[in-house]
Amino acid sequence: MVSRRSYLRSILVAAIAVAVAPFANLVSFFYRSNAETAQRQKIANLKDLSPGSAIYFPYPKTGDPKIDNDPFRQYILVMTREGELRVYSRVCVHLWCLPTYLPQKGALICPCHGSVYREDDGVAVEGPAAYQPYPTNALPMGRIEVDGNGDIWLVGVEGRIGYGREWKRIPPRDLIRRV
Amino acid sequence: MGSPARSLREVVNNLWKWTVDRLERTTIVVYKFTVPKTYVSPFGYLGTLTAIVFAILGVSGAFLMFYYRPDVELAYLSVKEITEQVPFGFVMRNIHYHASNLMVLLAVLHLYYQYFSGRYKIKNEVLWVTGVVLGVLTILEAYTGYNLIMNQRAMLAINIGMGLTYSAPILGPSLAPIFLGGGLFDLVIRFYALHVFILPLLMLILAAVHFPRALVIDFPAISAVVGAIFIAGGLFPVELGVKFDPTRGLIEVPEWYLTAIYAFLRTGTERFTAGALLPLLFVILFLIVPFVDKSKKLSWRDRPFFTALGVATIVLIAVTTVWGFYVDFSKATPFEQLYIEPTLFYGSLGVMTIASFLATYRFFSRKAKVTRPAPPRPITLTPSQATSLMLALFILMILTVAASFYTYTLSLPNHSMFWLGIAFMLLGLLLHVYRHSILVEQRAGAVREAQKAPAR
Repeated sequence: MVSRRSYLRSILVAAIAVAVAPFANLVSFFYRSNAETAQRQKIANLKDLSPGSAIYFPYPKTGDPKIDNDPFRQYILVMTREGELRVYSRVCVHLWCLPTYLPQKGALICPCHGSVYREDDGVAVEGPAAYQPYPTNALPMGRIEVDGNGDIWLVGVEGRIGYGREWKRIPPRDLIRRV
Repeated sequence: MGSPARSLREVVNNLWKWTVDRLERTTIVVYKFTVPKTYVSPFGYLGTLTAIVFAILGVSGAFLMFYYRPDVELAYLSVKEITEQVPFGFVMRNIHYHASNLMVLLAVLHLYYQYFSGRYKIKNEVLWVTGVVLGVLTILEAYTGYNLIMNQRAMLAINIGMGLTYSAPILGPSLAPIFLGGGLFDLVIRFYALHVFILPLLMLILAAVHFPRALVIDFPAISAVVGAIFIAGGLFPVELGVKFDPTRGLIEVPEWYLTAIYAFLRTGTERFTAGALLPLLFVILFLIVPFVDKSKKLSWRDRPFFTALGVATIVLIAVTTVWGFYVDFSKATPFEQLYIEPTLFYGSLGVMTIASFLATYRFFSRKAKVTRPAPPRPITLTPSQATSLMLALFILMILTVAASFYTYTLSLPNHSMFWLGIAFMLLGLLLHVYRHSILVEQRAGAVREAQKAPAR
């Protein structure tokens, strides 16, 4: 016979579990919801770009200059020399400096320790970042959509800012959609 | 009878008694405070000294909060303001910084003294385990603290810490954004919350368990510790560093208690293994020691294996720390300058630790009869000698404090700190001479009493 006491105790334990369970959601408190993704933001129009040019911008843009100037919100839209569109996080995966686009080299160059990232896929080919193991040797990449008017929208980010991207998993071409 | 001074003393005495009586209803009576009447080895109460330095950190840190701004842009500027403009800001910041160094140092010394004297036995396992965890929290507290400056050095440490968190298996990708938030503007506030509240609170809770019931409060030693903080601040004033700028690269080396981990990272060993797994194994080694070393023997002479292990860990810390500071400036790029050849690094580390282990083990296994050196004869001062010594120390203190004031008016705050540190050292000495002369007087009194007593 299951004793009455152990039966009551199970109800008590279950009641405490029911009371505590809703607090599991509290975890989301610690994540800033607009931190990385989920915001659709217009960056530029195709008319603003020519092969071998770039536009720098913050994402997700808030209008607060302090937040918009944060290194971790700096992105770059590149039209490669072949005319392909690419968006990269600008935070170097080595020591978080901000690389700039050099059209004549077809690469992003970090001003601090000279890491060189290919314009096609954001993978480091020279400098300290190139020596870091996969997946910490590539810049995070933006997911973009180009609409009928030629407007370019950034809709999300693949990878972790200041850390890297699993670039072998998703080819860069899959991150660009024409709608 | 009934003079105002006398009745005032009576009022104070009664108030004191009244308070002490009522304190018996509180937990404070659980602790047994001992104020040594004579010199005792400071090794025995390094833990209390660590706690006192922690209190100094709490006070100086709370004052720094009045001016510090946890903001990407303003953090560095506010620390610059504290250092250069706020009256006594330089002093406050140096106290806080050097007390943090001293706390790490005292905690490590405390750990090793307790280790070698086998204090983790005799039902002290809980004290030992909480102590090791407190040590780790102390390092994390120091780490989050020096990152708040947001200079190049801080950013290097933040970068390494975030990289390590991200590279942790399974949990990493969801753990790192908790610290990072939406970017550096969030990170600095979160590190601030950790540094000034969450980590100290955890440390206090753990300390409540870690404190043994008998606490030694040695005033001369406390005075010397305060003096050491001031002298360190005077000789090695804390630097402001260069403001973080994502367009400039500089070679920076982390704080001394983290250079060992930095050395592992610079060999190109997989990041998580080098920066987190190996240090964690090191900590686990200490955590499990009481459950492995089950012998009844306490002295380090009687436990050759664990003594050799302890010596090997000290050598390990020393070798990796030295490697961490090593920069080969003959190389062309900063990246090559910082690279450490893994075979050389792990080779030297392996040889040195194994050699030190074997040498120590062999030395203590030989069962040679140890002749303990005779304890040094204590110096006993006559009452008149003690009086003149105390007077001399007092005059020296006045001179050093005057030098401290004078150099402060000359806008030489580090000189001022140095002289004040010397004054605290002298105060420590004076306190010691005072308790010594009291003891001598008591003994002399006892002898006189014995002589007065009629012979039987």
